Amino acid sequence: MPDVQPLVSDFVLKLKRRKVEGSHAVARQTAELLRSVVSQHRMGSSANQAAALADAVRAVGEQLISANPIELAVGNIVRRVLHIIKEEDISSTAVGIEGLSVTVDSDDEYDSEHDDRPALSAAVLAAHARNALRAPSLQTLLEDIPVSPAISGTASSTGDSDGKSKSAGDKSSTRKLKHDVIAAIGDLIDEIDSCYEPISEQAVELIHQNEVILTLGRSRTVKEFLYAAKEKKRSFRVFVAEGAPRYQGHVLAKELVEKGVQTTVITDSAVFAMISRVNMVIIGAHAIMANGGVIAPVGMNMVALAAQRHAVPFVVVAGSHKLCPLYPHNPQVLLNELKSPSDLLDFGEFSDCMNFSTQDGSPLLNVANPTFDYVPPKLVSLFITDTGGHSPSYMYRLIAEYYSADDLVVRRKATS
Amino acid sequence: MEPDAAQNPSPSPVPPPISAYYQTRAEHHAVVTSDWLAHAAAAAAAFPGADTADAAPPPSPGGGGVIEEFNFWRRKPEAAEAVAAIMALAAVIRSSRATTMMELEIELKKASDKLKSWDATSISLSAACDLFMRFVTRTSHLEHEKFDAAKSRLIERGEKFGEISLKARKTIAMLSQDFIYDGCTILVHGYSRVVLEVLKLAASNRKLFRVLCTEGRPDRTGLRMSNELAALGIPVKVLIDSAVAYSIDEVDMVFVGADGVVESGGIINMMGTYQIALVAHTMDKPVYVAAESYKFARLYPLDQKDMTPAHRPIDFGVPIPIGVEVETSARDYTPPQYLTLLLTDLGVLTPSVVSDELIQLYL
Repeated sequence: MPDVQPLVSDFVLKLKRRKVEGSHAVARQTAELLRSVVSQHRMGSSANQAAALADAVRAVGEQLISANPIELAVGNIVRRVLHIIKEEDISSTAVGIEGLSVTVDSDDEYDSEHDDRPALSAAVLAAHARNALRAPSLQTLLEDIPVSPAISGTASSTGDSDGKSKSAGDKSSTRKLKHDVIAAIGDLIDEIDSCYEPISEQAVELIHQNEVILTLGRSRTVKEFLYAAKEKKRSFRVFVAEGAPRYQGHVLAKELVEKGVQTTVITDSAVFAMISRVNMVIIGAHAIMANGGVIAPVGMNMVALAAQRHAVPFVVVAGSHKLCPLYPHNPQVLLNELKSPSDLLDFGEFSDCMNFSTQDGSPLLNVANPTFDYVPPKLVSLFITDTGGHSPSYMYRLIAEYYSADDLVVRRKATS
Repeated sequence: MEPDAAQNPSPSPVPPPISAYYQTRAEHHAVVTSDWLAHAAAAAAAFPGADTADAAPPPSPGGGGVIEEFNFWRRKPEAAEAVAAIMALAAVIRSSRATTMMELEIELKKASDKLKSWDATSISLSAACDLFMRFVTRTSHLEHEKFDAAKSRLIERGEKFGEISLKARKTIAMLSQDFIYDGCTILVHGYSRVVLEVLKLAASNRKLFRVLCTEGRPDRTGLRMSNELAALGIPVKVLIDSAVAYSIDEVDMVFVGADGVVESGGIINMMGTYQIALVAHTMDKPVYVAAESYKFARLYPLDQKDMTPAHRPIDFGVPIPIGVEVETSARDYTPPQYLTLLLTDLGVLTPSVVSDELIQLYL
């Protein structure tokens, strides 16, 4: 794909240098890039166009994921696109099977025995097509319909009936597949852009009169959520923890005051002192893991523990593009990122101390500035996504809906 | 009355019958003690009538054959009990003279019920029979299927279940690799083929980790496990069963297998699993369960006494004083809140997924 390679390289460079910040922006740009990859992909003469398309997307996806392994939104969007390609391919296959059945029915020369076999094949293939989209389950444990031979059989059967129409049909169906995939990715981009509205619509049911809300740092989803509650004439107060060392809480506090929300800024260390006055904690998330755990800005685990200690509901608002089908093993190490110490120390003030060292040359003063915290699912009361409210134990169902199990395994095998 | 009998063994010298589930495990794990031999002999002597009844020619050739076929298959050390059950049912289909799917289903149902009642304490046996019966039911509803084609397909799928089982183990091993990292210490309990496969694959991927094995009295499964792990070059330490809490601070994660996964998401496994899960949960160590999905069973125990007891002989090395009771149950139930994740061939699941899978299958 020489046409899109500059785009890919440019985006990879941005990811490596952390130029694109925030899951939302990363998700959107990844989706746009993959749409370009699909558009520019030259459909070869291979038998399985969807597989070739998926391979192209997967190749680009691997580059993007390795550029910034901590940013899970990249992997999420790649898997969503692979799932979309599979869905469109199966839709085309189902249409083809229906056409085959119609052909068989309309041909009077066949006898009853011949009629039975193609119909059976169509039924079995249709059932398999439905199963292919779903994760493996107990229902399919004992069934094992091979994919490639069956589909190849269908293709050759179609070819036998009419060679010329096969050639024409194949070309138009290829173009249709590509067009459908591009349209579906467009829908995905629209969904990413407009994920705030369905989430905010649920604010009325959650925030009640004279309640006190606590949040930490700044999240656009949380901001829109609180705006919606304000517009519905809910009178509530917001405690905003600063979110040191980047102090994004200050930004959010200003935005809320401009909207007319009564706001109090507190330090991060004051969370436990103030939690007893709080009715609800509402936070955004960097990523939601498959087990219902949350990757959130640093300090959030402390807030969650304080909330649990005082029996305060802990609500996470996030778009569905933040759902990640991976499980957090050793999350504090593998899913965290240490940023520059400049957020914590002014170099003019402390740089002298950093010159001192032990005999082996290692500095006496070390600075740790992690970006994220992992909040285990038992501390989360409720997830609000653009599809509604869900408990942490329900996340696996959402994830099974958005991602194919095959992509998960392939991704893991490729990386390991 | 069985629970009462278990709790209050009568003063008569007749010991409680040894669970067939335990016998299967003992034979697979090659654990034979003198006490077990004595109990086996006593059991055989105490129930000569039952033995005679079993030996008598069964009323239906197909029905009787299912037990013999199952016994044949379950003696193979690599075959899980579920595989033996499904192979036995496939043999019933092969020898059946039925000419319609309905007839075949009825015959299979009888054979399945006979298998399940043969060993009421085995959960994977029961789950496998239910799974296969469900598959047969769904197959018979396929449209335009000829009877002979359907029958041969059932036989073929049943006979390939052994491959499915092995593939399941490999899938679980592959999925588990991300959870094992260099420098970690893993606590294992009980002898589980799946857990062994997981650790074997991690070792072959050149990961450096240490394994702590519980002793696993009275079967000494830990010695068997540690022997196999040492043969693979994995550093291993054996703990006596009561040393788990003492050693838990150096443990990074717990891996256990499962005899059965129940609908609540909890597991039924070798005695001691619940205790270890409690300790691990208190010390905030993850507990991972490696289990094949065909072990999902439609049971919903609320506590330990809800299960049919599976008894086993215990050799204390010295005679037990007269009037002293001995708890002889071979397994316990671990509730889902103490389990972190289930590693199955369907993927990595949280315990709450199990009920969903079972509902989808049986609804």
